Amino acid sequence: MTVQTIGIVANPASGKDVRRLVARASVFDNREKCAIIRRALSGAINAGGYKFAFLDDSHNIAGGALLELGEDCDAERVPSLGTSSVLDTIQGARSLKEINPIATLILGGDGTSRAFVKGWRDSVLLPLSTGTNNVFPRMSEATVAGAALGVLAAGGVSLKEVAVPVKIIDVEIEGESPDLALIDAVVTRDKFIGSRALLDGDMINRILLTRAEPTAVGMTAVGGLIRPTPEDEDAGLHLTLGRTGKHQVHAPIAPGLYETLNVHKVEVTPFGKVIEFKGPCVLAFDGEREREIQAGQTVRMRVSRTGPSVLDIEKTMHLAASRKVFN
Amino acid sequence: MAQAKKKAAAKKPAASKTVTKATKKSVAKKPAAKKVVAKARKAPRTAVKKGASNKGPSNATLKSLHLKMLRIRRFEERAGKLMEDGKVPGALHLYVGQEAVASGVMQHLSNEDWITSTHRGHGHLVAKGGEFKPMFAELFGRSTGYCNGKGGSMHISNMDLGMLGANGIVGGGPPIAMGAAFSNQFKGNKNVSIAFFGDGASNEGSVHEAANMAALYKLPCVFVCENNGYGEYTPQSGHQAIVDVADRASGYGMPGVICDGMDVMAVYEAAGEAIERARSGGGPTLLECKTYRYYDHVGIRGMGLTYRTDEEVEAWKKKDAINSFEKRLIQLGVMSRKQLDDLDAKIGEELEEAIVYASDSPYPTPGQLLEDVYYVKGA
Amino acid sequence: MSEAKKPEPRVLPYVLAINEGIRTVLREQDDSFIAGEDVAAAGSVYGYCGGLLDEFGSRRVIDTPISEKGIMGLGVGASATGCRPIIDLMFMDFLGECMDEVANQMAKMRFMFGGKATLPVTVLTMGGAGGGMAAQHSQSLEAWLAHLPGMKVVMPSDAYDAKGMIISACRDDNPVFVVLNKQSLAMSMEVPEESYEVPIGEAIVRKQGTDLTIVAFGRMVHEALDAAEQLKEVGLNVEVIDARSVQPFDTATVVTSIKKTHRALIVHEAVKFGGIGGEITAQIQEEAFDYLDAPIMRVAAPFSPVPFSPALEKLYIPNAAGIVAKVKETLEL
Repeated sequence: MTVQTIGIVANPASGKDVRRLVARASVFDNREKCAIIRRALSGAINAGGYKFAFLDDSHNIAGGALLELGEDCDAERVPSLGTSSVLDTIQGARSLKEINPIATLILGGDGTSRAFVKGWRDSVLLPLSTGTNNVFPRMSEATVAGAALGVLAAGGVSLKEVAVPVKIIDVEIEGESPDLALIDAVVTRDKFIGSRALLDGDMINRILLTRAEPTAVGMTAVGGLIRPTPEDEDAGLHLTLGRTGKHQVHAPIAPGLYETLNVHKVEVTPFGKVIEFKGPCVLAFDGEREREIQAGQTVRMRVSRTGPSVLDIEKTMHLAASRKVFN
Repeated sequence: MAQAKKKAAAKKPAASKTVTKATKKSVAKKPAAKKVVAKARKAPRTAVKKGASNKGPSNATLKSLHLKMLRIRRFEERAGKLMEDGKVPGALHLYVGQEAVASGVMQHLSNEDWITSTHRGHGHLVAKGGEFKPMFAELFGRSTGYCNGKGGSMHISNMDLGMLGANGIVGGGPPIAMGAAFSNQFKGNKNVSIAFFGDGASNEGSVHEAANMAALYKLPCVFVCENNGYGEYTPQSGHQAIVDVADRASGYGMPGVICDGMDVMAVYEAAGEAIERARSGGGPTLLECKTYRYYDHVGIRGMGLTYRTDEEVEAWKKKDAINSFEKRLIQLGVMSRKQLDDLDAKIGEELEEAIVYASDSPYPTPGQLLEDVYYVKGA
Repeated sequence: MSEAKKPEPRVLPYVLAINEGIRTVLREQDDSFIAGEDVAAAGSVYGYCGGLLDEFGSRRVIDTPISEKGIMGLGVGASATGCRPIIDLMFMDFLGECMDEVANQMAKMRFMFGGKATLPVTVLTMGGAGGGMAAQHSQSLEAWLAHLPGMKVVMPSDAYDAKGMIISACRDDNPVFVVLNKQSLAMSMEVPEESYEVPIGEAIVRKQGTDLTIVAFGRMVHEALDAAEQLKEVGLNVEVIDARSVQPFDTATVVTSIKKTHRALIVHEAVKFGGIGGEITAQIQEEAFDYLDAPIMRVAAPFSPVPFSPALEKLYIPNAAGIVAKVKETLEL
């Protein structure tokens, strides 16, 4: 079989928002992102994957890393819209879909993966984290992540074996384009998207989670510390918050930032169950305020397993070892 | 999988080593910047939240933010026109497009908080509470100006408002802001100082020294970089190898944050956090606001150089801070279109009055030339 | 230090007089602090900040990074906002590192702001050659500073003036540079223990004379006085004026003297071309041309960077012998 293409998307904007300040997170500088991509490329090439399609970015993160490899790889540049906004990633995903890489390395936070999925829903992803507030991306050494991609691209394992479909939240907004979230959709009393970050637990009305993990930070931890809901459970978790709550949960709503939230209702939401409510409110997806909803405007959200698939690094590498791909 | 392919693959890394020297782009050459995690402190709660818990900013705050932006916009439009008509001497560096930055930051400050501005400084002064009459009088070089007509656009200031001057020197302000922050710390008050500077100034050694000292002494200082993409006529890509000035923050041992400088609420929230941190003894922050100036480096059309495209300018104008904020204020029922229009008209009248006042004001007398070169006791 | 009622005068070297000047200011002015490179823990590389940290603590005696722009900016910002900083610029040569803060901010801010800003900042700095410190640690750059409207510049020639001028400078509500001299650090004389001022802008006649007026700056005053002694032996009686203040310059004292002596010689350690001597010369001929019986002459360093080699450095620095020769030349002897 021929070697497949590996997609690469590095978000120059990730790891730099106001959470750096409040949540005691570090600034994730773009030289380091470039170095991560470089390590991932090394892993991929050594595992036999040498064809890449990368989304260009204003900081030349992926391009810069690939440039170092010169003729060792076969790299296709996908032009960016150049808006320095989330649109670059969404449009980039659409363009990458045309090239159809077998899987795409996403360097960024939850928001970056979400934007990518907005552009290419049934993609196969390998999200790598650039910060500390992530649930969706894996905390994995880039070299190994790249190797897993290489093994897959070179045919050492098949998608069927290692790509795991994940849950997703679909959001319908009356009179406007729909939206989605991979981990959490949060309804807040904010009036503005503003600095995007969710830093004030008092402002939150409800939280819908695809997974509730007590081992993570952010909204998923709020649910995870009440009723853990793993990724492989075919249901979501819906929390309604109020001034008085049945559950008072002290949770890290961002790295290093604990708040006590009053949760007055916790429901497991089976696939297909619709959560419906009206504005005014602001909707935050995967940790960032994204949509301003007007008074009276209806919003419907539901959880399903119709999202992208994520490459299982561990499984891939174990299979690679057992098949002596590197021997 | 073919065996041959595996062998080929295994060879790749060795070969790849040899191509590094072929790197042309600066990106790969940059040494990986050190990552310095902000020192762990008791997390100060958000300034934004305080006083308005559970509700976010009050309507009064929203109106005040809008008023600041609109006053800057209209002042600068009018000033630019006066310059192009030859009615104002010298050069004006106008702030149109960047209003959200000055307004969002200044909303958190009182007259006791200091700021240093840039040579694009009118907006900062308007947002800090500067009045049109003495501002125009200053631009006209009249004795009724804030600086008796002796400073002009590039040195316009008002000590009573805590505005330590626009500055004709790129990078001139941050060391002074750092000094003012030192003063506040020395006196033990809770005041902060803000150093506004641009992406161009970020390459000046003075900014580097000020940032280092502010971090070293944990001064109540916020470094606000208004990255408008150009140092005069040179695009950012032509003057630094990085795109995010905030990346430099960790090198000083302070947090670096980026926010959308075209969104006044984004600036307001991010600046609120940084200022609250500074006030509570947490030390300085580098806050980078991505923004854009609609006009030329100087004046409106400036020298007519083609260093950027109309499409680029128009694309940024689509993100206009005032338009989008007004739209949202109407949606939220904070202000109606009619109220916004009335306000605009009122600002317009105030401007015309100020221009008449300024042009009717006397020039400084010859005797004023040698005044205030030095402080003279009893003078 | 000793008790005040001791009968014999207290003698103090220049370096300790500087220390006492700073100490007096820090005791008298709660809003004063001293900041500079190695001023606190090390007590300054010249030793004149010794003991200050112990007495006043780290809030008021502050070690800074080697960042002259930052240090000078600190002085500008802190003085404009209500403090009375003393800034220590270790070597005058380092002005090159912070000339923007000095020339464009510190000197001009009051004027640019229409008189609404006041900058009571004092900068102590060290000039002068003679220690084998070569071209970047030995210059006399007072003319750079004196050229800046808004700036005051003084050059205390001895220990008494060093203490008094530091006190005057710190009480002044303008930026003042106190240009000290490294070769004078050990030079001792009687220095009162109490607080006193040496007025800024007033020259002083160090030695009365009738045949010629020498106007000398900083340490050159001592070379001029030596020369005057030697000239006595050949029957010449020269007057020696210690300019003390470069900006403002006391033209009146000089002119009064020249009306008596009819001849003038300017002595400074800075290079002759573009040195302050040219300015003084011009002022004398503007105001006292009719009283002059000879061209105004200058003794100053040759137009070269300060050389390292002791052989050349000795040649470079103006001295009494050179002054004697120039006086004789002026008097056509």
